[in-house]
Amino acid sequence: MGATIEFIRKIIENLNGYGFPVLLLFIGVLEFSFGLYKGKWPKNERWVDIACFIVVPLIVRPAFGLFGLKVLPALFPAYKNLFGWVPVLWGVAIIAVADDLTQYWYHRLHHQIPWLWRFHRTHHSASYMGMAMANRQNLIYTIFFSQVYLTIALVYLGLGVPAIIVGVIKGAITTLAHSSIPWDKPFYKYKVLHPIAWVLERTISTPATHHAHHASSTDDGIGYYKGNFGNMFFLWDIIFGTALITRQYPKAYGISHYRGDQWYAQLLWPIFKSKVEGSELAAAGPMVRIERRQRTKPRAG
Amino acid sequence: MKIDPATKKQKTRNIALSLFIYVLPIALMFITFSINGQRPWIKKPIKKENIKLITNKSNFTNGSND
Repeated sequence: MGATIEFIRKIIENLNGYGFPVLLLFIGVLEFSFGLYKGKWPKNERWVDIACFIVVPLIVRPAFGLFGLKVLPALFPAYKNLFGWVPVLWGVAIIAVADDLTQYWYHRLHHQIPWLWRFHRTHHSASYMGMAMANRQNLIYTIFFSQVYLTIALVYLGLGVPAIIVGVIKGAITTLAHSSIPWDKPFYKYKVLHPIAWVLERTISTPATHHAHHASSTDDGIGYYKGNFGNMFFLWDIIFGTALITRQYPKAYGISHYRGDQWYAQLLWPIFKSKVEGSELAAAGPMVRIERRQRTKPRAG
Repeated sequence: MKIDPATKKQKTRNIALSLFIYVLPIALMFITFSINGQRPWIKKPIKKENIKLITNKSNFTNGSND
């Protein structure tokens, strides 16, 4: 029994460390081998994805580390491990709610408050789904990832093991929700699996519901960038009335008026601006670009 | 900036509901503790190990006082 627990602990520890980049690469290779990026990964987008994949962790991880290892101990030295007595399963419940509900609101506000939209736009400018774009984010958006600071604070207070468990589960769900491999399809296809599908699509993010969030249009009744903000749990969308449950996948992804802003502008706006005229990231660009047919941004509510 | 009453009501509802959800697992944990009579925050005193001291001559006097 002890050996089994130790084995599981080692798997979780490894997944939390270098496991996720390996998982991303593994699924990414599968996606490439299935030809899912064929003709959909132009040079400019490749640069954006690669720059985000490399630069963001290089800067963000040390910043998060600094917060947990230096800032919190300096500000609250007496609080270290204060809640270390919390049983692991309760810790998992506390962290799962605290982390994911905070991210739901952080994400939703970036869609609903016009001046915040441009910090999140980079994640939505990709016209494809998959591992290539899963980590595509503006640096400022990632640095201010509010739920990470909350989770780090909870780790400091003694919930380290629950945080690792939640991190692994959440990482797997969100990564697979962005994947271009529709792992949820069999659940919709086979009638015997329909009850499981019903529960799944209401509790966690699936490729169908999260792909709908990345759709370039809402006209087809499948795309729904005005909602489906949940990351690990889709339940928040159900509770707060922003859910659209679909069992189909959008035909087109991204932003309808996107014209390929440079990688440095997408990674570091507002420090660097786009040279694409009329872009929301350009120096004189609009905060929210209004399309003739519909108001496309902010992309919610 | 004037917020219309429907939006204000919606915002209040969302804030209240979010706070309730944040607190829910913590409240459930303490309810479970009270039902089970658990007090995990109370540090258990470290039990004295049942070590039998060997007090033969050699321990204290190196066997020289005999």
